[in-house]
Amino acid sequence: MSDHLLADWRQHALTLETEVNKVVVGQAEPVRLITTAIFARGHVLLEGDVGVGKTTLLRAFTRGIGGGYQRIEGTIDLMPNDLVYHTYLGEDGKPHVSAGPLLMSGENLSVFFFNEINRARPQVHSLLLRVMAERTLTAFNKEHTFPHMIVFADRNQVEREETFEIPSAARDRFMMEIPIVVPNDDAIMSDLMFDTRFHNADALIDTVKADVLKFDELNGFSSVIQKHVTASPTLEKYALNLWKATRKPMDYGVKVTNVDMNRLVLAGASPRGMSMMLRTARVNAWLNERSAITPDDIHAVFHATVAHRIVFSPVYEMRRTEIARELLSNIVNVVAAP
Amino acid sequence: MTKLMKQFLLALMVSLSALTAFNAHALDSEMLSDIKDGVVTMQIQDPDRNVGYVVGDVLTRHLIISIKKPYKLIEESLPIVGYQKRYRGQVLGIDLSDIKHTSFDNGDDVIHDLTLSYQVFTNKTVVKHGAMPTEYLHIINVNSKGKEVVKFRIPSFEFAISPISVFGQIKIEDDISGYRGPLLLDNSLLKKRLKALLMIGLISLLGLIYMLGKHAWLPRMGGPFAKTYRFIRKQKNLPQGATPEGLKNAVASMHTALNQAAGSSLFSTNLDAFLAKKPAFKAIKPEFAQFFSLSRQVFFEPNARHQVGNDPLQWLAQFCRRCRDCERGLVPDQLPSDSLVAGSQNAINAQK
Repeated sequence: MSDHLLADWRQHALTLETEVNKVVVGQAEPVRLITTAIFARGHVLLEGDVGVGKTTLLRAFTRGIGGGYQRIEGTIDLMPNDLVYHTYLGEDGKPHVSAGPLLMSGENLSVFFFNEINRARPQVHSLLLRVMAERTLTAFNKEHTFPHMIVFADRNQVEREETFEIPSAARDRFMMEIPIVVPNDDAIMSDLMFDTRFHNADALIDTVKADVLKFDELNGFSSVIQKHVTASPTLEKYALNLWKATRKPMDYGVKVTNVDMNRLVLAGASPRGMSMMLRTARVNAWLNERSAITPDDIHAVFHATVAHRIVFSPVYEMRRTEIARELLSNIVNVVAAP
Repeated sequence: MTKLMKQFLLALMVSLSALTAFNAHALDSEMLSDIKDGVVTMQIQDPDRNVGYVVGDVLTRHLIISIKKPYKLIEESLPIVGYQKRYRGQVLGIDLSDIKHTSFDNGDDVIHDLTLSYQVFTNKTVVKHGAMPTEYLHIINVNSKGKEVVKFRIPSFEFAISPISVFGQIKIEDDISGYRGPLLLDNSLLKKRLKALLMIGLISLLGLIYMLGKHAWLPRMGGPFAKTYRFIRKQKNLPQGATPEGLKNAVASMHTALNQAAGSSLFSTNLDAFLAKKPAFKAIKPEFAQFFSLSRQVFFEPNARHQVGNDPLQWLAQFCRRCRDCERGLVPDQLPSDSLVAGSQNAINAQK
């Protein structure tokens, strides 16, 4: 029974991937990672240059997942209550209050899409943190729950004016931070330029098959995956060594070019981060038709789940992306399994 | 009393006459007459040089003396070793240190072979004369009535005794002599030292080769796969080798060897990078896929199926040996057809 269930859902997951890959070309790896996050029930932060398709990618997934979908744009004057409600003068000339994006879909909210999250103020981040962590919100003297909600957020790493850096505590709530880069393949780049199909994002997203997944069954099925996919003692030891290496890379002889390793890491990956890494590794194993995690599964999600959680010295924060990439690659190279 | 006195006087006279006869031989040579010409002939072989001797040097002269019968050498008159000769009351400082004497009867005469070695026991701060002194041999005519004793003179050999230079007293420039020859230092210790250093150098060179060969006496020997191959072979022969734990140890050692060869942890995900870095291993690429399937089954997913047949340890040993061949720059042996199991064939097809 369980095996059939797993196989059926795997088929759905692969269908979703295929659908998304049709409209967002050259991003197979990010698509796999987002699929993994969906089944691991974690929030996703996309980072990349302007116009690389971050928003289109997330909208395509949203359509495939189904359920309630809400979206908000991050702006410097956005306030926390703008997520909860908004007020207006009705035709009757009286003030009215209506539900904001978070409350509009009620419990059926499956995707909350926060565009340009780093343009929002820290007060907004603070509210979002609670919603992401607890999936609840208190408003109008009532506790609202969003059991099926996943937050998709994106930010561009180029523009830094009028933006607010997302604090490490907020970054840690995201299961994955996935970099989106322009594809290297000339044929794909040419298609993106000349194929008119890609010029209208709304029409493109409409081509994605809707409701491929049953959003209200994802939580339950996620538990099935986590129970079904096991981790051997060797794998546990390997993951533990990886974790320790993120905390004290010098102990494992890890070096990064032009970086003082004694000053680089202020805090390694958190326990929550490592547990999320193992959750996603289990999902990756399941997607690859395995019943146990292998080091390859960890490698597939290691950068996406750990890089944004490591806290660097402020002097190295400006080079976070390149340093984190080299640091984690070297950790994988150094730590042996078995 | 009178009779007793007569007996005493008679005994005294006999004793004195006997002592007188003996003393004829022990008489001072100056008192004896020289031997007649023609009775004794002598050949002398003296040292080659007569200068440049210093205290401690030994000079040797070789004499062949022929004495016609009935004359006979009184051997007691031969020079005595250690006897210090004096000249004008002063010790001469040239002592006889050794004497060798042989003789044989040659019919009409007796030939004596005599070797005399003198040692210099004197030193001065300037050059002085020295000499192997004149020696007198006493010869007795055994047929004469009164046992006539005569002397035969061995002439002296004059030479110069050089001083040993003393700092501040002797100018070496004034003591340069063509006869002395170069002063040679004793270099035997230096030779021994040189030999020892050469030996150390040789051992160091061998050690260097050993290190440069990565813990091997020759390059490319004793690499990680060679060591692992030995380990797996031993593991195969152990009773616990066939157990899951033994297989786990063998696979772990293979992983260690691969990591060492790659310079980082090697997984299936970075295998292509490894093969690009070490193209010698490309020939066995399909077997890497088999190995990772075995590792996955052993360490991570017991329910998974590997692709290495029924004797994983045997397959692992073969794989390790082929890795060792690649490591040494050799073309790996062709696998026996029976070890190319169906799984591996599938893996090969998959790679293609």
